[in-house]
Amino acid sequence: MRQELSGLAASRGSALGRARVRLPHVVDVVAEYIDPADVDAELARLHDAIDRVRTEMHAMRDRLQGALAHEVGEFLDLHALLLDDPELLHGLDELIRTDHSSADYALRQQRDRIAAVFARMDDDYFRSRMDDIDQVIARVHASLHRRLDDTTGVAGEVLVTDNVAPAELAQLQQQGVVAIVTSSGSALSHSAILARSLHLPMVVGVPGLLQRVNDGDALIVDGGAGTVVIEPRAPDLRTHRAQLRAQSRDQRELNRLRRQPNRSRDDVSIQVHANAESREGVAEAHALGATGIGLYRTEFLFLRSNDLPEEQEQFQAYRDLVLGMSGRPVTIRTLDLGADKADRTGLALRDEPNPAMGMRGIRLSLARTGLLETQLRAILRASGYGPVRILLPMVTMREEVRAVRAELDRIAAELRREGHEIAPHVALGTMIEVPAAAIALSGFISDIDFVAIGTNDLIQYLLAADRNNDALGELHTLLHPAVLRVMRDVLLLAKKHAIPASVCGEIAGDARFSPLLLALGLEEFSVHPSSLLEVRRTIRSCDVHALRASAPSLMRARDRAQIEQWMQRQLAS
Amino acid sequence: MIERDLTVSNRLGLHARATAKLVQLLSGYRSSATLIAKGREVNAKSIMGVMLLAAGQGTQIRLRVEGEDEARVADAVAALFERSFDEDQ
Repeated sequence: MRQELSGLAASRGSALGRARVRLPHVVDVVAEYIDPADVDAELARLHDAIDRVRTEMHAMRDRLQGALAHEVGEFLDLHALLLDDPELLHGLDELIRTDHSSADYALRQQRDRIAAVFARMDDDYFRSRMDDIDQVIARVHASLHRRLDDTTGVAGEVLVTDNVAPAELAQLQQQGVVAIVTSSGSALSHSAILARSLHLPMVVGVPGLLQRVNDGDALIVDGGAGTVVIEPRAPDLRTHRAQLRAQSRDQRELNRLRRQPNRSRDDVSIQVHANAESREGVAEAHALGATGIGLYRTEFLFLRSNDLPEEQEQFQAYRDLVLGMSGRPVTIRTLDLGADKADRTGLALRDEPNPAMGMRGIRLSLARTGLLETQLRAILRASGYGPVRILLPMVTMREEVRAVRAELDRIAAELRREGHEIAPHVALGTMIEVPAAAIALSGFISDIDFVAIGTNDLIQYLLAADRNNDALGELHTLLHPAVLRVMRDVLLLAKKHAIPASVCGEIAGDARFSPLLLALGLEEFSVHPSSLLEVRRTIRSCDVHALRASAPSLMRARDRAQIEQWMQRQLAS
Repeated sequence: MIERDLTVSNRLGLHARATAKLVQLLSGYRSSATLIAKGREVNAKSIMGVMLLAAGQGTQIRLRVEGEDEARVADAVAALFERSFDEDQ
């Protein structure tokens, strides 16, 4: 008979399959005591069981390959540490030695003691870590009864259980499990996080699950809604099929975009790079098919501690970034810090009367001896691992570029002497975000290899409109003839000198503006990963030659209304 | 015996990964190490113990180490806390 159960949505996706019910290992253990004479034998039995789990975890870790290895590996390490935990083991031994509890009952008592402490925690995240301890205890319990690996032959089935360990999850997916439903656990658990990255539908925390689902029941699991339908009827099946169709449509479209080259409708190649500032951001950019990292912000390295990051720490971060993009180019921006950002290192001047026009970006890097040198050394060392470009923020004049270039050449020679493997040439570029740099660009374009237009600041300085001042509203806008002219001049000049030019402000990631930017001559976007596919989709629908042909009429626009009219016309065509 | 006052500065606090890092670091030393916070005292070499502290961002923690290599342990642990457990913020 049809029944519907509700739990917590842990990982999206809809799946239909037969239930494979796995009964919990620990929950039903009753008080059980052993003969005092058997204490040593019981201790040995427990430790043998723990050793078996440990061996199995090591074997599992060895089997893991590819992108998952790192993520799952960390969970395995955590569980392995729990297996060796002095407090946990000592408590178990004591219960067997002093109270003469059986190994099973000792596990149960120890689990309940720990669970009582976790249950009192206020923080959901910390409280959900009890899952990890439960999973380890359950595995030891299963091992006591030599019941490890009892989920073979589960292809096409829905695993229904009390709890599932992250390490098992990857294995279960390889074996063909289509969804997972658990009676306990939280959407914040490591398993839930992993299920999401594996795209495996999962519902957790379903009350009464194990009492209501029988082995072999047909189930529809909706991981997005957090529901499980037992023995579905015709309307359930129709809903499920509609969901699957929507899912696969979405998936097809995304996959197509990921793999396809970035070309416009009239076959012009356009780069769509991603902006990033963390390992997660880089992984996301890679997964979404970004053509490279167009802007890697290095501020986080400087903001996270009270000390300046050392060369080795910076090198490791940049090397991870380069490796993370596996051969696609990455653009690392040198420290762009000013008094407007929280700064615990005491690096930026506090209480500057006007931080936006103060000691920031390249000015700060050049003013503080050692700061730039350390960062350039770290970036150059990372260049041995893949293509790297260096981007300088807040440049206003040629002297700044030349000073950095001289430093770069000196450091490169020094690193080679020290025996480091670095790229033969590392491109050096400047942000164009101060009007002076845009106007004077022709004077120093031969000193650089590329430019990146930072629209947020460029608009702020061109229009004298503070980007953080809400009261200004629409005054901070791309849709101003002066802004368009300056951007067009920069892009044309770059084209004339055959150097790449990108736009990496928020506007680049707003697909509404993509046709306008293409009309101005832009061929390299750098956007937040969340906008990547949308911008790519828009670019693919654009006719770049036609847009460029209409650029003169765009440049003749005398006010915002006329620019908007141009945009409307492009939409209509 | 050495005591040091530390602050948990990383965003997620002493969560699983950070705790694992701390325990792995300490496993290389002989001294005993205790963390004291929120009226609770736990063995810093026990991942379960440290997780039981439920120490979120901003928690003040006292570290107590005792043993032949105590000075090095205290420095290493303090450095790990200061580096926010090498996490991206």
